[in-house]
Amino acid sequence: MTAALDLDTPATAPAPKKPVWPWALTGLILFLCVVPFILVLAISFGHKIEGAGWEWSFTLANYKRFFVGAMWPEDVTFLYLQQLYWSLRYAIVASILAVVTALPFTYLMTRLPRRAQARWLVFLLASLSLSEVFIVMGWDILLSNNSGLPKLFQITGLTDWLKAVGWFDTLRDWGLASPRNVKFKTSELATVLCMSYLVWPYAVILLYPALSRLDPSLSEAARTMGAGPWTVARTVVLPSVRLPLIGATLLLFVFLLGTYVSVTVFADPAKHTTAIAIYEAVRGANLDAPFGAAQAVILLLTAALFLWLGQKLTTKREGKA
Amino acid sequence: MRIIGPLFMGLSAFFLSLPIIVVSAAALNGGRTMFFPPKDPSLARFVEFFVSESVWRTALWHSMIVAFGSAGLAVLLAWPIAYWLWSTGSKLSKTVAALGSMPFALPPIVFGVGLGFFWAFLGGLGTIWAGIVSQAALFLALPLVTISIGLQSIDRAHLDAAATMGATEKVTFRTIILPQTLPYTASGFFFALVLSFNEFIVMFFVSASSYSTVTLQIFNSLRNGYTPTMAVAAITFITVSLLVFSAVARWGDLPRLMGADQSRT
Repeated sequence: MTAALDLDTPATAPAPKKPVWPWALTGLILFLCVVPFILVLAISFGHKIEGAGWEWSFTLANYKRFFVGAMWPEDVTFLYLQQLYWSLRYAIVASILAVVTALPFTYLMTRLPRRAQARWLVFLLASLSLSEVFIVMGWDILLSNNSGLPKLFQITGLTDWLKAVGWFDTLRDWGLASPRNVKFKTSELATVLCMSYLVWPYAVILLYPALSRLDPSLSEAARTMGAGPWTVARTVVLPSVRLPLIGATLLLFVFLLGTYVSVTVFADPAKHTTAIAIYEAVRGANLDAPFGAAQAVILLLTAALFLWLGQKLTTKREGKA
Repeated sequence: MRIIGPLFMGLSAFFLSLPIIVVSAAALNGGRTMFFPPKDPSLARFVEFFVSESVWRTALWHSMIVAFGSAGLAVLLAWPIAYWLWSTGSKLSKTVAALGSMPFALPPIVFGVGLGFFWAFLGGLGTIWAGIVSQAALFLALPLVTISIGLQSIDRAHLDAAATMGATEKVTFRTIILPQTLPYTASGFFFALVLSFNEFIVMFFVSASSYSTVTLQIFNSLRNGYTPTMAVAAITFITVSLLVFSAVARWGDLPRLMGADQSRT
């Protein structure tokens, strides 16, 4: 194909000029997508000036404050570590819950005709695009103590039934009931439920490529050999989507680490997360940008650590397989 | 299993619709208190949102400027990266694509905090164009993915045929590459548009309370309790999303855009 063209090319043609735009583009992306992260890191070593803003510095005081409190060694506080613990706890439980429930849904969806799949995808994408603020608003109405589910429990007699069989006391022990009725706000259950809801459509979309590429003849072969649906799921489907499953859980986990609105509305103030503390420090009453930045860096490092561990786990398993 | 499957899908759809139904129904409340089910159903709150209350009208206007501006900018930035990646596959292009996708893949709060500092240094904090550029950087990953899928779907034989017939790189780009990737570019634009319309965290940091988008306005109003007018915003958003994604599904191959195998129907 190129022989004819090569003949036309003079032997002494100058080497083609290397275009400049790839370098300009690289610079632009570095400026827009990387510099903000570098700024967070740089400011995390800064120093807050009492009663004013902050100044550039190179102090580890913000990090020390995160792990042992500002008064260490005279006094130790693990408040910020505790917040990180809640960030991790909510994000882990909610991401696993989302992926575990999204997996069978996505599998069933990929077995439908293509047109039906497109319709489901439109529905999922529309719900995914709804802002966290709206979703929290919806769940807040549904779970609020005077309307929604608690009201429904009362009207239908479910609350009385729970009292009669003695489960109401158990719910009270779990902090899910007031003396009169069930109560979801504030609770860990409501927080995790809302967070899980937030990422559920993402979970489906992340699992969709792998499941839709799964060869149906494998499952059919297993079925003709006498395997039941659960055996097929356990021995054929699950092993082939193990990697996307771990990948999706990790991505959702990282995304959920930064959840703000759900935690503010549904979590008990004693169980607030690092994300809330970052807001407080950067935009809230505290106005301590360097400490907020240090917390953001720690959140980012935590996310990176989990992603790295996830990758290690998957490559190890791949090696064994 | 024949019953359990559809039942599970139906239950999932119900669970997913639950808060949406509640919020949407609440918009019909005749009074200013949020009741569910709605009391004295009326469309008065719609008039408030779109016509009579300037706070919401302005917020909607800001949301639209930011969403359209940032989605357009994200596509303009994503195109050369995707093209570079597809045509050369060089290490640098892969790195740039990965760096461009980073803000979307990492906790948005960290990027939001970083952008707050970034615009404060550049003097753009609280300006609407800072919001547009920030959202474009956040959602760059979306058109990058869809345009890359579009470029990969081009049959190399078409390019070879064009080259044999003497077409220059520019002509090939205009007559083959661009038309074939147009639906994918449009999809990328719409994905970025819809998500940017609803984005909260980054806008919270870069708007610095100077102006509100609808999502920010709702968050600010939450302190004083819910009003049915807020619910109208939710209905507007979900309607826009449904229309946009239905259009993408109608004129494009949505399952393929989402990663389904092209060969299977």
